[in-house]
Amino acid sequence: MDIWNQLMQGFVTAGTPINLLWALLGCTIGTAVGVLPGIGPATAVAMLLPITLKVDPTASMIFFAGIYYGAMYGGSTTSILLNTPGESGSMVTAMEGNKMAKSGRAGAALATSAIGSFVAGTIATVLVTFFAPLVANYAVKLGPPEYFLLMVLAFCTVSAVLGKSTLRGLVSLFVGLAMGLVGIDQITGQARYTGGVPELMDGLEVVLIAVGLFAVAEALYAVLYEGRSVETQNKMSKVHMTAEEWRRSWPAWLRATFIGIPFGCIPAGGSEIPTFLSYATEKKLSKHKEDFGTVGAIEGVAGPEAANNAAITATLIPLLTLGIPTSNTTAILLGAFQNYGIQPGPQLFDKNAALVWALIASLYIGNVMLLILNLPLVGLWVKLLKIPKPQLYAGILIFATVGVYGMRQSAFDLVLLYGIGLLGVVMRRFDFPTAPVVVGMILGPLAEAQMRNALSIGEGKWGVFLQRPASLVLLIIVLAVLLLPRLMKLRKRAA
Amino acid sequence: MKAPQTLIGVGTLALGALLAVGATQISSDAGYAGVGPNFLPWLVGAALLLCGGFLIWEARSGGFRQMEEPSGGGTGHWPGFVWVSIGILANAVLITTIGFILSCSLCFVLAVRGFKASEGRLDLSPKAWIVDALIGFAIAAPVYWMFTQLLAINLPGLTATGWI
Repeated sequence: MDIWNQLMQGFVTAGTPINLLWALLGCTIGTAVGVLPGIGPATAVAMLLPITLKVDPTASMIFFAGIYYGAMYGGSTTSILLNTPGESGSMVTAMEGNKMAKSGRAGAALATSAIGSFVAGTIATVLVTFFAPLVANYAVKLGPPEYFLLMVLAFCTVSAVLGKSTLRGLVSLFVGLAMGLVGIDQITGQARYTGGVPELMDGLEVVLIAVGLFAVAEALYAVLYEGRSVETQNKMSKVHMTAEEWRRSWPAWLRATFIGIPFGCIPAGGSEIPTFLSYATEKKLSKHKEDFGTVGAIEGVAGPEAANNAAITATLIPLLTLGIPTSNTTAILLGAFQNYGIQPGPQLFDKNAALVWALIASLYIGNVMLLILNLPLVGLWVKLLKIPKPQLYAGILIFATVGVYGMRQSAFDLVLLYGIGLLGVVMRRFDFPTAPVVVGMILGPLAEAQMRNALSIGEGKWGVFLQRPASLVLLIIVLAVLLLPRLMKLRKRAA
Repeated sequence: MKAPQTLIGVGTLALGALLAVGATQISSDAGYAGVGPNFLPWLVGAALLLCGGFLIWEARSGGFRQMEEPSGGGTGHWPGFVWVSIGILANAVLITTIGFILSCSLCFVLAVRGFKASEGRLDLSPKAWIVDALIGFAIAAPVYWMFTQLLAINLPGLTATGWI
């Protein structure tokens, strides 16, 4: 019953008027950035990181979490109504959602995705509530060698497994690690790659890299290559589901929730895989196979949307209990914690229990808020799609400036921001993934410290990673993740 | 596509080399750990050199593997790009002298010119400039007030009043 008490305590903290207001603000901004093309949750959180200078940690984490999952609700609106998905997680929703909207059932598609997101988000939050403390209890027993290997596992999955090309994923990862090297070495206090510039002593600012790589790059890419793309918008219809549509939706929601959660938990973030898996499952099990790809099947919207939200919520388990981010946004959330001098990890549940439980309670509250924001008020959000592209992107540049300048008050950072933006354009054009850069930059210094601590324990011998059973198991998993897909490919080719 | 891809490989090599050169200046004092603060720099530098080599090889032998077709047009719209670039850089140069609101409004106006140019409807009439400047102001000013008045985060102003 300990968990129960702490959760109630969390509700008390999260339920104060000021924190409720932060949650509402976060959910609203999150839905807006989800709906708007060209800006996602990672960018929005990064731009707003300067508030960590003034706002207290509980309030700002509630706020950022609201943005994080609010964007998932909003993203589905865009992918159903426009013919371009808002963010990668809603790519699959777009397939059937668009077909439904074209045949005049946009309202039903929006309803099933909002309610599905709510169901999946809530179930996933319940699991976070009960599992996160368990994982944390277990994680306390892990030493530096195990942590280091868990981080290596996160690096491998983010860069080598998820992308299309392992080589380009690794390039991104090492560029990120290189960025993370700039600044003071955590263990010896020695300056590295600062070139004597005092601003670089603190390292490169997360806001700068994230906003440059996402927001500025997105704007520059749009002006260069997407001026001629024409978008068509589908007609809205009444937000309503028939009894038949309910019957077809709810099994899909539940199945997808349990497909999504494990993918969020393991350090292999990204919601592409669970959404595709859920889509494939629904297509296989559906009694209305003829609807898929023709008039649009409601299961094909309900499943992926729920899977997306379940996975997104579950990514909080590795973030909070191990301090390991598995996606762009969680990497930036980790940066936000660091700005407060808080290191997420197993001790978080002891040292900052009030904060963690308020955050978890706010997830329940936020899901309810989002359901209300997204069902009756969906018409309001649809209006956002009418903002013309030029003003939208130019406006994003203003917000980018606030985020970067507000963090360090340095005009030079704005020039750097442009440079990072150019890097982002090249990466996007040549299909380099961006998540490894951000994850590498933020997690790199932590992984290095764990590695050197591990070697200290092993008196300078690398054998320390083999001698401890837990770390040996992790090492084998890392190798399996790296080698198995390749071996399978080779076998396929041989057969 | 071949030449730019090779160039990316060369850039990766250069970054790797830069890291390696920098790594020579970092002490190797290992303490109890067996590896010192220069270990990861060497590792990352070497990895980037290796990856750069592979990228060049891929580029020279049929192009990058498993490439997703990039979205949008095949060639870039450079005039629009120049407008937006000037907007961002002007903002960086002017923000401390003319203040956040005015500098960002200027950036907004210039960027809108660029995006409209790329859509093939560049409008240089005085009316369009004024309208966009007002929209830019209407976005930048509330943002500025929210940060300076509500959150007490420093942003540069034209005056010290905290209002403009």
